[in-house]
Amino acid sequence: MTTVIRVDGLSKTYGHGANAVHAVSDASVALEENRIHGLLGRNGAGKTTLMQLLTGQEFATAGTIEVFGENPVENARVLDRVCFIKESQRYPEDFRVKHVLRSAPWFFPEWDQDFAEKLVERFRLPVNRRVKRLSRGQLSAVGVIVGLASRAPLTFFDEPYLGLDAVARQLFYDTLLADFAEHPRTVVLSTHLIDEVSNLLEHVVVIDDGRIIIDADADELRGSAVDVVGVRSAVEAFTAGREVLHRNALGGLATATVAGLDEAGRAEARAAGLELAPVSLQQLVVRTTTDETAVRTNGVPA
Amino acid sequence: MTAIAASTHAPASPGTRVWRIVRLLTANPMTTVGMPLMVLGLIFAGTWFIWWLIMASMSGADAQDAAEGIRYNGAGAWIFVYMLVVAVQAVNLAFPLALGYGSTRRAFSAGAALTFVMLSVAYASIMTFARWLEVLTDGWGVLGSFFGTNYFATDAGWLAQWWIYFCWFVFFFFTGLIFAAIFVRWRAFGLTTSLLALGVLVVAAAAAITLTDSWPRVWETLLGLGTLGVASWMLVPAVLAAGLGHLLLRRATPRS
Repeated sequence: MTTVIRVDGLSKTYGHGANAVHAVSDASVALEENRIHGLLGRNGAGKTTLMQLLTGQEFATAGTIEVFGENPVENARVLDRVCFIKESQRYPEDFRVKHVLRSAPWFFPEWDQDFAEKLVERFRLPVNRRVKRLSRGQLSAVGVIVGLASRAPLTFFDEPYLGLDAVARQLFYDTLLADFAEHPRTVVLSTHLIDEVSNLLEHVVVIDDGRIIIDADADELRGSAVDVVGVRSAVEAFTAGREVLHRNALGGLATATVAGLDEAGRAEARAAGLELAPVSLQQLVVRTTTDETAVRTNGVPA
Repeated sequence: MTAIAASTHAPASPGTRVWRIVRLLTANPMTTVGMPLMVLGLIFAGTWFIWWLIMASMSGADAQDAAEGIRYNGAGAWIFVYMLVVAVQAVNLAFPLALGYGSTRRAFSAGAALTFVMLSVAYASIMTFARWLEVLTDGWGVLGSFFGTNYFATDAGWLAQWWIYFCWFVFFFFTGLIFAAIFVRWRAFGLTTSLLALGVLVVAAAAAITLTDSWPRVWETLLGLGTLGVASWMLVPAVLAAGLGHLLLRRATPRS
């Protein structure tokens, strides 16, 4: 496996002094080539800022970024291989959809025109409509089509499902998987609809409040935590001394999401009369990003 | 394990990177070519009709007097303001898209400058050709001066005439570019501040000229320079704007 993106101690701060906003704080992460990476986090967690930093659109306050082994800022060797249509991407005032589809191939040497046309049909995109008159879903479809058809070695999708209906979202996920199988490339997909994409993702990075709190393979992550359910006193006795991501109690019953429970631990739980339930990726992310007690894999508190 | 991925295709040449920005900025030719020519044609037709009405009611010396007065019309000036707006929109809205497409700021800035110079060449040629037709047809048959107003016309030959138009187009394009670059870099606050600063400078200059009773000398200088000299001097602020705009865009961030 080769590394496409390597970030070390990366920080981006807007403003100064008391008004300073730490959009990204001391983030370190490495993304491998030809995989689909999920960049997960709540709105305002720093997903877009991180992607802007990775594509040289934003300047880092501290830390280093390597994309294809080099600093991406103003680096044509790197940026030539990158496609990043932002969720809030702005287009020239006079652009119709057809102008986007006409201009994109000039910038992406691996652009597939047939594929783009097929996608326009599938997403039922009106090519003669002005971009600024498109609905939210149609605007998302433009970004999705450019991202897919560009076949850029490093493609970012920034919350690509916004405004898309269930059919169009599924169409995007299916098309991405099918095209990815034929043309492997590195994809970074930012989203907060985690359950919908959890089957797509091979690697997951969770960012919260500018800090990277999870950086793990999706499979590893799915098995990394388990819900322990049972009588409150038994749950409390069992979880004493263990790493608990989240607790929830209702009357005499309690649920605790326990991290890194091995076989012996599971057997012990069952012996104590507790039930074990799998935790979905979404629940895991929700629990690690809402709790004050969340364990940070790296990053310092602001 | 942690080796760095090798490039899968040769990177585009610097020329290609700049040229695709030119193509991006003119991707919809309706904006840069169709619309301005159509509006220019409509204004011209309207102006011609008014002149025809005036001339139809006059004869001999009166008509010559009217023709002199017509040479002060500003009907053709709007096209320069239109091009300023084209430049503002190009920089403000094409910049974020170009970066999304993986362009560098450097390539964008160079591509925008090249686009504006090329459009200036084209429009200066069109205006000069129209002036040539105007002279040939005796002012479109009504002693009119649409493309040879006193602000732009010259007796120094067709090349000079072309140069005057070229300089003015360049001036307006790069004035648009610098203000758009200021907006892209520092948003509304930067734009307002720089416009206020410019306003203060203009008022201060006017005050200085008034207090020193220098207005006659200013007019003499301008008349001495003539349309050719004034237009050529416009290249100075244009080049400054181009250089400063490039520096500003080099550190600008596309915002949503």
